[in-house]
Amino acid sequence: MSTPDSELDRHLEALFGGLDTRSDFDARLMARLRAEAHTGATERAMRARQQERARHRRAVVEVQSWRRWMVRLLTLDTLGVALLLVVTAVTAWPHIRTDVVDTFRQFGPYIVMLLAVLIAAVPLLGMWAEQNTHA
Amino acid sequence: MELVRAERRDEAIALLLPVFRRKVFGLAYSFLRDREAAEDVTQEVFIKVWRALPGFDGRASLSTWIYTIARNTSLSALRARRPQASLSDPEVMEAVEAIDPATSADIMADRAAVVRLVDQLPTKQRQAIMLFYMEARSHQEVAAMLAMPVGTVKTLLHRARARLSAAAGKMSATA
Repeated sequence: MSTPDSELDRHLEALFGGLDTRSDFDARLMARLRAEAHTGATERAMRARQQERARHRRAVVEVQSWRRWMVRLLTLDTLGVALLLVVTAVTAWPHIRTDVVDTFRQFGPYIVMLLAVLIAAVPLLGMWAEQNTHA
Repeated sequence: MELVRAERRDEAIALLLPVFRRKVFGLAYSFLRDREAAEDVTQEVFIKVWRALPGFDGRASLSTWIYTIARNTSLSALRARRPQASLSDPEVMEAVEAIDPATSADIMADRAAVVRLVDQLPTKQRQAIMLFYMEARSHQEVAAMLAMPVGTVKTLLHRARARLSAAAGKMSATA
């Protein structure tokens, strides 16, 4: 093989000057890009759904904690109000006229029962409301 | 860039392909020395470019950006595949023959010999030689593709050509 510089150049040019991909390269690439775009859209939709689900979960947890807080507060309030009523009744008892006392003696057990039912009902109502929202 | 901004990346790629396909393929081929793998890498590069186009801020030139992606993807592919291919693999030799079917048997033999000589060059010299002759002997283009100063490319080419001439001289002396 006699290879002077110009001949070497010619060989190298012939070898590498025409380097190119196969003729269907562009078509294959565009097909892959279309598939990629489709996958991309599906992935974006899935990500959006996941984000929405997470946002919903956060909102539900927030509302639940707010309700629990309200139930605790209402229970405490009801207890406080009941205690206040008992204290008021005990304090006012000696000064109440006899006919009122008679009336109270007559309806006293009903009033106490009503109060007891109310006190018990408030947290139960709260829990019921919370369970209903879950469902 | 207007096409990218208008969410028309496919059209942007269709415009980039005729300009950069050969260059990216050549760059990948200079790393991998395997046409099939180089085509795969070239596809990978354009998919990466397509994905990253919306984030391209234009601080570097488009060609610099694409060549960087091409070099990194080629290096990753090179690391992932062992043993390394060779320019003188049968499939490469077939590709050499396919360049010009009308070439005489003597010239074919010479070219096959040149391929083997190029294959034995150090990596950077081999890359410089391949890209230089692929890119119509443009030092600037080879420098941009390999991210090297033009002076370094010239030195690499000078050394590569000296080695090739010496090796070719030896071969003709023994023939």
